[in-house]
Amino acid sequence: MTTTEQQSGPTRRAFMAMGGSAAGMAALGVNAGWGQNTSVSDASAFTTATHDCDVLVIGGGMAGLFAAVKGHDAGAKIRIVSKGRLGSSGLTPFAKGFFAFDPAQEELTLDEYVAAVSRSALGTNNPVYTRQTAEHSLARVEELKAWGFFDSNLYNKSFMTPIEARGIPLHERVVVTHLLKDGERIAGAAGFRLDAEEVVIFRAKSVVLCTGAGAFKPNGFPVCDLTHDGTVMAYNIGAKVTGKEWNDGHVGRAKNPAATYDGWGDMFDRRPSLEGVGIRHDLGVDANYLAYKLGNPVEAGPGSGPGKNVAGGPFRPVEFADNGPPPGPPEAAGMGDGPPAGGGPGIGGGPPGMRGPAMGGASAGMSIHKSEGLVPINDRCESNIPGLFAAGDALGSHMCGAIYTQIGSSLAGSAVQGAVGGEAAADYARDVETPILEETELAAVEEEILAPLRRKAGYGPAWVTQTLQGIMIPNFVLYIKKESILSAALAYIEELRDHHSPMLRAADMHELRLAHETSNMIISAEMKLRASLMRKESRCSHYRLDYPDVDDENWRAWINIYKDESGDMRLEKQPFDTWPAQT
Amino acid sequence: MTIENISGCIGCGRCVHACPCDVIRIDKESGKAAIVYPADCQICHLCRMNCPVDAITLSPEKTIPVVVSWG
Repeated sequence: MTTTEQQSGPTRRAFMAMGGSAAGMAALGVNAGWGQNTSVSDASAFTTATHDCDVLVIGGGMAGLFAAVKGHDAGAKIRIVSKGRLGSSGLTPFAKGFFAFDPAQEELTLDEYVAAVSRSALGTNNPVYTRQTAEHSLARVEELKAWGFFDSNLYNKSFMTPIEARGIPLHERVVVTHLLKDGERIAGAAGFRLDAEEVVIFRAKSVVLCTGAGAFKPNGFPVCDLTHDGTVMAYNIGAKVTGKEWNDGHVGRAKNPAATYDGWGDMFDRRPSLEGVGIRHDLGVDANYLAYKLGNPVEAGPGSGPGKNVAGGPFRPVEFADNGPPPGPPEAAGMGDGPPAGGGPGIGGGPPGMRGPAMGGASAGMSIHKSEGLVPINDRCESNIPGLFAAGDALGSHMCGAIYTQIGSSLAGSAVQGAVGGEAAADYARDVETPILEETELAAVEEEILAPLRRKAGYGPAWVTQTLQGIMIPNFVLYIKKESILSAALAYIEELRDHHSPMLRAADMHELRLAHETSNMIISAEMKLRASLMRKESRCSHYRLDYPDVDDENWRAWINIYKDESGDMRLEKQPFDTWPAQT
Repeated sequence: MTIENISGCIGCGRCVHACPCDVIRIDKESGKAAIVYPADCQICHLCRMNCPVDAITLSPEKTIPVVVSWG
């Protein structure tokens, strides 16, 4: 390999020419399963580009924006890398409600607000992060106003305003696949460009993961580009991960179920707006339980509204009974937070303006916002890997807890945590030397990045993803859980992990991205199943048919997941209201 | 189909960058946007909303590729 900043490899022309025929093959299903790999990208022709910075921000959503801005303003040399476009990928472009806690306007004090969230969340929230989001939210609103964020339904322009003003380098359409270490501490990241045959290496003193959470590329929710990439990359280098047993209960439409725009009404078209305090118990698995008992979708399925109760199901505190949508116009709620038309948010959180019956599983594979991701070791978004920080949905801050407690806090939490994490990363970078990247390690990473292109035969990522979806997304696996089914699903997922993930093939750069995303989804599926098996109780958005009750004696604890020295997945309890002991 | 057609494209490439799922690419020969990976479209309309000349038409329907019997 050669090192160069050149954008195009020698076979780019051939690669683009083949793009059309590859699409035709996909439509016919020819490249779906096991087969020969007729790669149009020549793995031996790749070039490598290396970039240096103090703080690398991975991800271009709301958290990434603030991590970059605040890290820069704290004196660090920043780079942003995103597999999509700033403000136009992940869940950020579709989030329209922004929670702002204004002490002059609210009836509750900050202490009372945090206490009420903790009651709704049955203790699953981290009160330090619950408070932090509320406390810092107004300051972030003022900055966003100045950049023009509230003036458009599209965010790229307003996001670019502070980035261009600061001259922060932006690497878009670069898929990051690996985090790099120098000894025990973070040293950067590696990935590849979608538009050129180029491996990209970032050497950084500190990294802020703003990669969002992820799902299993489900139908009906605009989360198909998020596949827990940051979480799995960090897990692979020893970071602790939390919150995988929780589920997000967003719904889609029964009619045209893949059409996220049609299903989510005006959430795509309207400008963002502010939300005040309104503590709820939303987006859990109440609707999944009704559907399990009575059928999906029309009669008592998700979105059909309260009053179709059956015995049993997830526990809901009386104080936070499902009373339907909060006061105000329906368009006042944000994406990811929205009250449904014709039903309370506890029944799945159907989109405003949604027409026709709703179906569950639209966000399958995602936990409640901010409840899954890297385990923070303090209130500065720091992970257990020195120099590695995370913010937004990539950080398991449990800001809301394991149930969605505050409308608009998803977007606000990403802004606040991005700012906190960016500053903390800059502070860390100030005191450390430039890391050293070993050539042998880089060569091994590049080999892993390009391996799916080099395979002469293997499994197409689309086939493996569809198989994964069939195993994980059914209501009786992912949402309404019991020991026997979870164990059976785990056996399938282990097979995908051990036999299929190492044989994923890719014909071009698009499929190379899909191959890495598929591997990440498989690891996330394993985490979700193991955590769900371990939590032998029901609480918030985790429901077990065989352990239907809240168990405060044994389970006032989060579950953290990490890779042990032999490479096996390990799980541990971390009691609520504590920080983890560093290991 | 998902993105049904792109008609009147001026080749600015905004849709390519706006698409979260890498469905659209600029065709090297024509210099215009082409629907290359329709199977991965999530029908979110960001391409349409970012297009300066309203060239993109979407359908709410989606055809999933045929899955082979075993792999």
